[in-house]
This record gives sequence, structure tokens and C-alpha cells, in this order.
Amino acid sequence: MSIRPQAVFDPRGVVDTAPTPLAPRKTALTGLRLGILDNTKWNANKLLRGSIQPLNEKFAFGQINYYRKESFSRLARPELISEIASNNDVVLTAIGD
Amino acid sequence: MKVEAVALSDASKALSFPETVASGVDLIEWYYTQGFSDGLPVVPPTGEKIEAVVEILGGDPQYLECRIPPRWGCLTREVLAINMVMAGCLPEYAPVVRAAMLALADQAFNLNGVQATTHMAAPLLVVNGPVRTRIGMNAGCNCFGSGNRANATIGRAIRLIMLNVGGGWPGDLDKSTLGHPGKYTYSIAENEEESPFAPYHVEKGYNAEDSTVFVIAAEPPHSVTNHVANDPQGVLDSICSAMSTIAHNTAVASGHCAVVLCPEHALTIAKHGWKRQDIRSYLWTYSGNPFGKLAFENRYGKVYNRNLPAWYKRDFDSRIPIVPSPENIHLFVAGGTAGRFSAFIPGWGNMSTPVIRSIDGGNPALETKCIDGTCAV
Repeated sequence: MSIRPQAVFDPRGVVDTAPTPLAPRKTALTGLRLGILDNTKWNANKLLRGSIQPLNEKFAFGQINYYRKESFSRLARPELISEIASNNDVVLTAIGD
Repeated sequence: MKVEAVALSDASKALSFPETVASGVDLIEWYYTQGFSDGLPVVPPTGEKIEAVVEILGGDPQYLECRIPPRWGCLTREVLAINMVMAGCLPEYAPVVRAAMLALADQAFNLNGVQATTHMAAPLLVVNGPVRTRIGMNAGCNCFGSGNRANATIGRAIRLIMLNVGGGWPGDLDKSTLGHPGKYTYSIAENEEESPFAPYHVEKGYNAEDSTVFVIAAEPPHSVTNHVANDPQGVLDSICSAMSTIAHNTAVASGHCAVVLCPEHALTIAKHGWKRQDIRSYLWTYSGNPFGKLAFENRYGKVYNRNLPAWYKRDFDSRIPIVPSPENIHLFVAGGTAGRFSAFIPGWGNMSTPVIRSIDGGNPALETKCIDGTCAV
């Protein structure tokens, strides 16, 4: 019987991508531009559209913009992400399954 | 099962890994405790076995083939080899497994979504060309079932990579409500020898001498029995019946699906001079659901269904095709020569696009939408 140690191998592969940090949190919402990102899940638009009025009554956003992804599972188009980033201060989204 | 799933998840987050363990340690049980199994015992890898696989892949063990979501672990040739050995693969399967992983990593396939979805979808691999016989894949009797090393372990290696490198552990990043048995292994070859039609990859523009992998995010096969029809319409009407229900994901989320004709059904159809395009067109034309069924006739509120193409009429009586085009029905011939059982295989939905990729390298002669040997179909 062998007394040598047995080699073992890690099947996972390293993760070499740096995690994306969260954007700095806003301390107040009044007057900010609110982006709504509808991911096209079955009930996402109902949930999000239903949230707009009560949120706006509470925080009085300066502007509200509504966006839609083409597929809930696929990545949003880079142009859409750029547009949302350029024209909004905060973004609201939901799964709405 | 829940306890095991949590344990696997925690193990995958371990930061350090030993190079050796003591003599006498049961390696099968040791790999279980590390959480690197699909639930079945893995073959403990050895340096020699790993090296044999890496050599067939072209050497350079640290060469990065792709990253596997949602964990985005690096699939180097060495890591690919480790998972292949664990799955029980022979080294000569390596080009098939590599091509399958590169196809799955193509953005069109959206493996990130396939791994994480609550739906049961699993990647189905269909292999075409000479490599099938070279490595002994089963395209015949019981091809979706057990009993063939290449089919079983190629599919298993893909799953182990999706688990170990991709991190798609059940209950953690894989949120599938039910899963399905194809999440252990889901890999077949087309039965080109018994098919009266051109092979699938030839239909897509490759040469018959090319070897290819095709991947589609799919539900399990649904058996379609028809022992009476002696014409194409009769056989295909049975398949249309299997397709025309609102219970599968393709019906409600569009996208792509697959149909597997058994050799007897294929011969019955071919005797009447029908070709692949005729079959796909018939299936597309005579399957579907009235929109009212998909909308539950607005019983739960007005339904539009944004996953279906915008150009569909939404009247209750309007026919809603199962997929937007006959091209989205991927047709294969497989199975044993006895028996009149074909299969309908629903897809996941428009969230994933099937991908075909050459195993030998190169692009198809007729296909123009290919990048680096990978073609979204």
C-alpha cells in the first residue's frame, strides 16, 4: 500500500473579474431624475407602473423616465444602459415574475 | 436534498485548496465533501489523465478557453480536463466538450440566464459529422437514455463544468423550480446513417465531412407516438398535437424548439418526397394555439404577452405559432430503427438562441452569421 500523499485537483477555475462596486447611495430623492427599467417579466410593468404614483407623491421627483429591456433574461443593450446612466440620478427596477 | 445543496454551495466558496491529501483517503468521498459532484461519484483525477486531455486540446494547460457564468470562472484547458476526467470521459472526447462549452459561452446562448432560471431548461447537445462514430456516440436505440459512455460522460462533463466553474449549484445560483433529468447529462448524436435526409449540420451550411456541436436550452423530450400513419401528414399531425399546448415554455415565451424524428417516421415521410424544409414548414403551419388560450381569455386581466413577437395578432381567435418561423424548429433524426416514436423538445424561450459550432474549426460554406466558428442559429 502506498504511503505517499495523493494529489487532488480543483475543478472550479479562478474568477479573475473584479466585482463592480455599487454606485454611491443618494441621501435624498426629491427633485432627482428617476429612471424606471421594465425588464419585460410577466408582471414587471404592472408592479413598476403601480409604484410610480405613490413614490412620486412621497418624493416629488424632478423627472420620471420609463425604459424597457427587450428580454428579461438577456443583457440590456449597451446604448440603453448608457442612456439610463446619462439621463437619470436613480433607477428603479423589479423582477415582477 | 436541501441540506446537500447548501453544503455544496458553501464548499464552492472555499478560498484555499490543498495540493495533496493523505494516503488512504477515499478520494471519491473526499471530492463529495468538497462539493464538486453532480450527486454521482466522480472519477478522482490524476496528473496523467489530466495531461492526456490537455495534450489533445493542444497543450498549454493555462490557456483560457472561455469563462462560464454566472460565477464566471475561468475554463482553462487544465480545468476543462479536470472536469472531463471527473465525469469519466476519454481524452478523445475533449474536442467535443470544448466545442460545446464554447458554443454555450457564446453570448447568443445566454448561459447566464439558462443557469439561473426558475425554468427547468438544460442545454441539449446534438453532435453531427464523423466525430460521432470516431468516439462511439450513440445516435440509435435509447440515445437519450443510459448505456453509452460518450453520450453519458460528455453531457456529464458539460454539467460538471456548469456546476464547478459556472457555479450553477441548485438552490444557490441555479434557481430551477424542478430541474429535469437532462441536468445530469443531455447529449446525443444525430443518426445520419439511418436518416433519409441531409444531416442537420449540412442543412446549416456545413460539409458532411465537418463535425459540429449544436446546443439548445431545452425541456425534456416529449414522446410522440404514431403507429398508424403511412404518410407525412399523419406522422406530423401527431407532432403538431404535442406542440399545440400552452403547457410548455416555447408556447408562451417563443424562441426555438427541437423535433427528433425516429428513423421509421423519417422514412415514412421521405417516401413521399418530403425534405427537411417541407417537414419544418408543415409543423410550423399546422401547430399553434389560439391567442385566447394563451391569454386565459383575460380571466386574470388583459394579457398582451410581450415575449411573443409584436407582429402577432392578439385577437382571441388568432393563431399563435409555437415559434416565429419554420427555421426555429430544429429537426434531427435519431433513435433506433424499430419503433414509431418521435419526440418534441420544447425550448426555454426567446431568452436563448441555439448555437452551432464546428468541432474541427472553420465556418460553414453557406452561413454568414458566424464569428470565430460559432454561429447563432
